[in-house]
Amino acid sequence: MNNSSTPISRTLMRMIFLSSGVVLLVTSAAFCAYEFLTFRQSSIQQLQILSKAIASNSTAALAFDNAEDAANVLTAFKSDPHIVAAALYDARGQVFAVYPQGLATERVPAHSGTGYTFGRSALIGFQPVAEGSKQLGVLFVESDLNAMYSRIRLYALILVLVGGIALSLAYLISRRLQAQLLRPILALAETAKAVAERHDYTVRAARTGAYEFDLFTDTFNQMLTQIQESERKLHAQLGRLSLLQHITHATGERQDLPSIFQVVLTSLEDNLPIDFGCFLLYDPASKSLSVSTVGSKGRGFADKLELSPQVEVPIDANGLSHCVAGQLVYEPDVLRISFPFPQRLAAAELRSVVFAPLIVESQVFGVLVCARSLAQAFSSGECEFLKQLSGHVALASHEARLHGALQQAYDDLRQSQHTVLQQERLRALGQMASGIAHDINNAISPVSLYTESLLEREPNLSERARGYLTTIQRAIEDVARTVSRMKEFYRERDSQLTLERVQINRAVQQVVELTRPRWSDLPQAGGAMVELQTDLMDLMPDIMGAEHEIRDALTNLIFNAVDAMPTGGTLSVRTRKAMAGGEARAVIEVVDTGVGMDEDTRRRCLEPFYTTKGERGSGLGLAMVYGMIQRHSAELEIESASGQGTTVRLSFPAYNSLVIAAPKAANAAVVKRRLRILLVDDDPLLIKSLQDTLQEDGHFITATHGGREGIEAFAAAAQRGEAFDIVLTDLGMPYVDGRKVATSVKGVSPTTPVILLTGWGQRLIATNDAPAHVDKVLAKPPRLHDLRAALVELIS
Amino acid sequence: MAILTRALRLLPLAGAVFVLCMHGLYAADTPTENQVQAVFLYNFSRFVEWPAQAFVTPNDPFVIGILGSDPFGARLDEAVRNEQINGHPLTVRRFRSVAEIDNCQILFVDRSETSRLGQIVAALDHRSTLTVSQADGAAQRGVMIQFATENNRIRLRINVDSARASGLTISSKLLRPAEIVGTDTREQ
Repeated sequence: MNNSSTPISRTLMRMIFLSSGVVLLVTSAAFCAYEFLTFRQSSIQQLQILSKAIASNSTAALAFDNAEDAANVLTAFKSDPHIVAAALYDARGQVFAVYPQGLATERVPAHSGTGYTFGRSALIGFQPVAEGSKQLGVLFVESDLNAMYSRIRLYALILVLVGGIALSLAYLISRRLQAQLLRPILALAETAKAVAERHDYTVRAARTGAYEFDLFTDTFNQMLTQIQESERKLHAQLGRLSLLQHITHATGERQDLPSIFQVVLTSLEDNLPIDFGCFLLYDPASKSLSVSTVGSKGRGFADKLELSPQVEVPIDANGLSHCVAGQLVYEPDVLRISFPFPQRLAAAELRSVVFAPLIVESQVFGVLVCARSLAQAFSSGECEFLKQLSGHVALASHEARLHGALQQAYDDLRQSQHTVLQQERLRALGQMASGIAHDINNAISPVSLYTESLLEREPNLSERARGYLTTIQRAIEDVARTVSRMKEFYRERDSQLTLERVQINRAVQQVVELTRPRWSDLPQAGGAMVELQTDLMDLMPDIMGAEHEIRDALTNLIFNAVDAMPTGGTLSVRTRKAMAGGEARAVIEVVDTGVGMDEDTRRRCLEPFYTTKGERGSGLGLAMVYGMIQRHSAELEIESASGQGTTVRLSFPAYNSLVIAAPKAANAAVVKRRLRILLVDDDPLLIKSLQDTLQEDGHFITATHGGREGIEAFAAAAQRGEAFDIVLTDLGMPYVDGRKVATSVKGVSPTTPVILLTGWGQRLIATNDAPAHVDKVLAKPPRLHDLRAALVELIS
Repeated sequence: MAILTRALRLLPLAGAVFVLCMHGLYAADTPTENQVQAVFLYNFSRFVEWPAQAFVTPNDPFVIGILGSDPFGARLDEAVRNEQINGHPLTVRRFRSVAEIDNCQILFVDRSETSRLGQIVAALDHRSTLTVSQADGAAQRGVMIQFATENNRIRLRINVDSARASGLTISSKLLRPAEIVGTDTREQ
């Protein structure tokens, strides 16, 4: 017995002792009382009997007055040692005889009484002495109570003995009973203590085979089993909760889908654990599933299953279709499922599988597949866990996607802002350039006109002069071209690109020729040798495009290639026809063997103002190329690696027809009749040069300075009946510009053609921004050739 | 306390009264020999059993007879007045001779009849009469009970054989304090 059980055993013992003691006491008291009363009664009776006998024997003595005999008779009291005194009274009440002999008569009552009474220390009796009906006297008897006291002492002794024995027996019996009764309780208490102290729910109370205690023990054990089971479930639940928390935390730290999927699968493989796990992504448009990520530990299974990223998984009618519909599907044993995917799993020795849908905003976008090689291996708790996990993963994925989209939008916004800023700079630059171009165009217009005129009309020029003039003319054209190219900066993205058929090979050849100084002459001056190879395919298909833009793009590419080969190398320009997606495409490749680009540069090279050339580069070359490519719905590929050279590939959709357009017929027509021409300009030099050259063609020229003067001259001429056949007016003039002039002219004579000359002419032409009432726009510097063509066109 | 003190003061007076009373009683009650014998006669009726034929009818008187001179006088008559023995009224009869005796349960033979004791006993033989006498040697001569005076006290001598012969049963209680004697055949 240990300490904890002592109280109950002690209590039991006390109860048994108390009850048996009380029973014993009551019984003994009753017995003693009874015995006492009985003894009193019997004492009286005994004394009475003795007294009666003595009385009877003493009748004769009394009757015949024989005191000796009476004394003799009284000696019979000797038989009872407790009789301490006796006396006979005669009929007159006189003491007749006493016992024992010699007893003082004072010792006995002087007068007789009646009956038997207990005195303080003696039993006193008066017995009448009668013979027949005649009372002869009275016998007095006094008995001490020693007999009773000794009896009482005896009883007390017996009581003590019996009590002692009874209590000892009670103790022994209760010990035995207690042991029997308490053993199961103590065993249970021991078990309960073990459970409470160690939290060990695996212990069980032993059956003792005692009465109802077995029922109690069984119930207790059942309770323990239930607690143990609950404990186990709770632990499992806690484990899963912690795993869920861990995974949620891990996914929260990641923002791209593959890494989220990978960390989820790794956690599941390590901690749930599962034998194989993968994520399938669902494409609602094509209703197909494809593998996104496979858990690292399940690679072996993945190989057997032939599941690698991007592989499409057919949706069978059973599990996956339900899952795609948004339900969690648990297949406890895939061997019993005849559909293809479960069969594939079975073939890879995976027996049980859970498909958990990834749902965001009521749309399934993927499936989490978890499998184990044992059948019936997933508990309902684990299924519930996977369901919750898939919900978390779906949310995390959704957040990752949102984050990605946000990042993209932010990047786009920043890019746009950057672009807008650059465009603003470009616009300012362009406007400035435009003004400069206007002035240059105005300034070189006389040079152009006179040179052309001289070359045409002065047959007597020496070869040398003619050569010089030709050079001047070419230089002027270069200047004009340079100026026009400078104006390109200002040019905005043009939706109304004027497309025409372009022969790729011809454009390439032109550009190669045009850039010769750059790839041939300049490097040589620096001691480097650039070898040019052109590989142009015959029967290249034409494309639709703006030829000058394509030429500019190619020029830029060749400049870049040359710049990439500061120590010389080979520059290859190739054209070929290719087929892509059933469409014919015309491909131009510009390949150099230069320094190439590293990854960062290659990625950023199309950004405007990104340059590796320092001060020498504007950072606009490839950006312009890219702009052209986009406007032509073409494709641009750049292959490059550091030190490996660079290949830039432009791929244009081919024009359907292979027919090569007839080249434009050279227009050598000259207006035969002499025309009355009104010239309106604020630049005296230009007026002079135009006047000179057109007069040499035989036309009548009236030159006016400024718009107001021009309008007045036209009106005056009309009034005189000498109306002008045609009006040539500058666009930009102070006070009254070319548009107003044109409007006035058309107001007076609607049929009179108006030609607008402008330093911005190229732009007006390109954008079709011809002002109202203007029939033709010519760019400055005007070429005599173009001027004549315009006159022919408008007059005829 | 006051009561106790008063009681102690009265104690000598109470003692004196007591002594006087005792003396007076003792003096007055000292009986004479005849008185005692009269009471004894009466008392015999209680210690002796008579056979049924001793009485003719149940209402016959129980007779104490006196033969010879009467030493008791009226004392005996007073003693037996209104007394009954087993339903038989007690009477005292005085006989002058044996021949007068017809029905008698106890017969006291006075000393004056000593000379005729033999005749009397013989006459009463088988008559169920208890014979009592104060005469010396009466018991030896066939009288059933003899009063003998010893040391100034009356003692009884009983001739059991004689009583038995007459069909009387004498209680053992009576026999115990008495002296048992037999009939002296020499004198007969």
